[in-house]
Order: sequence, then structure tokens, then C-alpha cells
Amino acid sequence: MSSLARRRATDYTVKVISTGFAALSLVLLAWILWTLVARGLPALGPHVFTKITAPPGAGGGLLNAIVGSLIQISVALVIGTPIGLMCGTFLAEHGKNTQIGNAVRFVNDVLLSAPSILIGLFVYQLMVVPIGGFSGWAGSFALAIIIIPVVVRTTEDMLNLVPIGLREAAFALGAPAWKVVTLVTWRAARAGIVTGILLAVARAAGETAPLLFTSLGNNGWSLDLGVPMASLPIAIYQYAASPFEDWVALAWAGALIITVGVLTLNILSRLVLAKMK
Amino acid sequence: MNFATDTSIDIASAVNRATAPSAEPKLKVEGLNFFYGDNHALKNINFDIPEKRVTAMIGPSGCGKSTLLRIFNRMFQLYPGQRAEGKILFDGVDLLSKDLDSTVVRSRIGMVFQKPTPFPMSIYDNIAFGVKLHEKLSKAQMDERVEWCLRKAAIWEETKDRLHTSALGMSGGQQQRLCIARTIAVRPEVILLDEPTSALDPISTSKIEDLIDELKQEFTIVIVTHNMQQAARCADITSFFYLGELIEVAASNEIFTNPREARTRDYITGRFG
Repeated sequence: MSSLARRRATDYTVKVISTGFAALSLVLLAWILWTLVARGLPALGPHVFTKITAPPGAGGGLLNAIVGSLIQISVALVIGTPIGLMCGTFLAEHGKNTQIGNAVRFVNDVLLSAPSILIGLFVYQLMVVPIGGFSGWAGSFALAIIIIPVVVRTTEDMLNLVPIGLREAAFALGAPAWKVVTLVTWRAARAGIVTGILLAVARAAGETAPLLFTSLGNNGWSLDLGVPMASLPIAIYQYAASPFEDWVALAWAGALIITVGVLTLNILSRLVLAKMK
Repeated sequence: MNFATDTSIDIASAVNRATAPSAEPKLKVEGLNFFYGDNHALKNINFDIPEKRVTAMIGPSGCGKSTLLRIFNRMFQLYPGQRAEGKILFDGVDLLSKDLDSTVVRSRIGMVFQKPTPFPMSIYDNIAFGVKLHEKLSKAQMDERVEWCLRKAAIWEETKDRLHTSALGMSGGQQQRLCIARTIAVRPEVILLDEPTSALDPISTSKIEDLIDELKQEFTIVIVTHNMQQAARCADITSFFYLGELIEVAASNEIFTNPREARTRDYITGRFG
């Protein structure tokens, strides 16, 4: 075999193998989505969105879990976004090449990859035990801890993409540092920052482990953050493990709702980015 | 009358012809040294910049001319490890004094950069941004100020119908004139131009050179340029920097036709740099 033919053969082989594995991962994803749609769609009905948890066979729905998830994610967002945004800003604008900046960045990276069950246990020890009960607040705090490192990382990365020249131009007009950051740098990076926040919400929306030891779940109707609160991931966890057919169907419906929600957030974040560019 | 100082009188009078109305220099650099960490980037600079004239700084890359420009508006203070020693008198006040606030210095000594740097906002807001930092104006006054500075920067006709559209949609040359307008809007006394045309095409460049000629009636202008024709065309006075030293300052027509220093002659005839 000539060297050219051998090179072509190698090229072809590598192309076939990598295409094959790419297809395999796509097939797995499609399979998951298909199963989800096939099982979840028939289980979806008005009752899912209008009724709360009921005993097996009594025609219950997911209303309390959906509302509980929305409340806890919103509270987590309100707590986590400002902290993440300010911390990311500190790292990009003030903490570059400083010891404290490097330390904060390292800790944040560790937090980013910490197992979420650990975050649940942490909040359990910090809030649930001292207060003496599970609560929606505890669940919200746990989700906030999921959100913060994602927002910190994306905010820092996006601010680092803003050219130094833009900051210097603002300084050259006599702007103090805080106005340069809030009026120019943030504005220049806002699409990326918003995307990061949306992705953080998407991540928090699907987390089960941090909620297991914090907000626990609630089969009744409650908007009180001071007591245990229902959430979609916990409801899925509960229903899917049950022996009752209608509960299992509800679990599939809940899984479909979360997936569609997360997918929507991801698409939305891409649209925001595309629109800004 | 003294024979021995004949040549220096000649040069002084040449500079005087170019700078006639100003008695005191607008900026007076005295014994200035500058350091990037341990790197001694400017060495004992003494340099007078006359009022309402265009002063050009030329020299090969790394000679310190941009460094000096960035000392005038205290830009270097944004970066730890950069340090200036000596004095720069601005209307008699030392610019390097710690008592002087950087934001005040920068409102009186404006700067335009090599690459156009429009902010990601409308044309109108680009200008209002700087003005709002220093003055409280009514809507009508602000409208007036925006029109005034856009006219001064010779870009009003092109922008008057799109003031509230994004500045990022303008051409590079228009963006650079907007940046000049934005700087003028704050009503500084000195305008520093750091290679303002090196990223622009010849037509945009000539528009900005015409603009510089207009602006010197009201503002003191200091321009760093790599383009010697530009210095010859625009500047009343040209200074030549080399390896962190100020080698020669003279009226532009003098320095380009009859430089005193051999190094200046070698540079402007293209023998190095």
C-alpha cells in the first residue's frame, strides 16, 4: 500500500469511528426523549395542572409540586443571582491576579462540581437541624447554592470578553470605577450574563438531591415557605418508586414538564445571545 | 545678541512663530521618569506643550510616546506596578499630585484611542454618558450639547436622523468621530489622541485630520502618530522620542526639513524604526 493510500485509509477509519460514536450519543438522547414523550404525553391532562397530590386511584395531579418548584426556584434566583453577579464581577474587574481573587475562583470551581447531595446535607445541618424542621426556605437556599457558582463562572467569563479598551474609554471620560462597571462593562456583557442566569435556573430546576433533606416534599397544598414544600423533582422521585400505575404515570408527566421547561430555558438563552450579537 | 546661542534662538523663534499667542505652556513636563515595574520607560523628560496648538509625538514603537500620553490623563494609575516620578504642571497645578482626583483630571484632559470604542448604546447615549458624569443638564440642554459636539466633530449631518440607534452600527471612521465628539462633549481643555487614525481608511483619516485642524482653535491637542506625513500635515510642533528619551522638539516644518539631531534625521528619513 502506498503511503497516500494508507493515509486515506486512516483518515477514513477515524472519520467512521468518530461519526459512529457521535451518532450513538445522539441515539441515546433521542431514545430518552422518545421514552419521555411516549410515556409522559399520554399521562398529561388538565388534571396534572389543576389537581394536587391525591391517594392512588383518586385522580390527583402535580399542581402543588409545580407551584412549589416555581416558588423555590424563584426564591433561589432572588438570593443567588445578586451574590453570583457581584462575585463574578469582583473576579473579573477587581480580583484579577490577586491572591484573594485566585482563592475565590478556586473555591467556586470546587463548588461548581460539588455533588448536589452534599449541598443538601450542608443546608440540612445549617438550617433544618437548628430550626427544627424541613422548609421551603431551606430548599430555596440549597438551590441558591447550586445557582451561585454557575452565575459566578459565566459572569466572570463574559466580563473577561469585554475589551479593555472599552473600560479605558469610559475611565478616560472621567467615570469612577463603579460607573464603568455598571454602565459600560455590564451592559456590554449583559447577553452573556443573562444566559448564564438562565442556564443556572435550568440546572437548579432539575435537582432532586438538594431538596431531599431540605424542603422534603409536601402532599398538601401550601404556599408557606416556613413548612415542607412540594417540588417536581421530589414528586417524580416519590411517584416513580411507587407501585401504583396512576402515580407512575404522573411521574412521567412531571419528567416531561421539567424537560420541556429546561429545554425552553436553554433555547431562550441561545436566542438572547443570538439577538445581542 | 549673543553669538554663541544663535542656533537656539533660531529654533526658539521658529517655535514661537508656530505658538505665538501662548505665553505659558498648557502642560509643562518637568523631570519626568516613568516605570513599568522595574522597566525605566521614560527618562528625565522635560517638555512644554503650548495651548491651542497641535503637538505631535513621533518615534519608533516602544519609545515611550504613548506612555507619556497616558500619564497626562493618569490612565497609568489604573494599573498597579506603573509609577511616575517628577512633575507635570497643568495650568500650574501638578497633575501627579495625590490630592487631585483622577476623574477631575480626566474631565479636563480627554483622550481618544487607537481603536474606535463606542459604548454598546445609542449614539445619543454615548455622548450623554460622559456629560452626565460631570454636569446635571435638562433634556433640552443635553439635546443642545449633543448637537453641538456632533457638529464640532463634523458628524452631525450623518447622525442627526439616527441619534437613538446603536452606535455599533456605524462605520469605523464614523465611530472614531463619535468618540472624538464624546470627548469634546465633556468640554475638556486638552485632547489626547493616541494614533487616532491608524485603524482607519485614507478617506476617514483625512476627515479626522481636517477635524484636528478645526479643533485646535479651541482645544490643546497632543497626538501620537506613526505616520510622519500626518505629523507634518497636522502638527504645529513635533517631538521625537527614542528609547524613553525626548530627543528633539521643534516646529514641525523645522524638524522635518532640518532636524538638529542625527537620530531624528535617521528616523524621519526611514533609516531605522
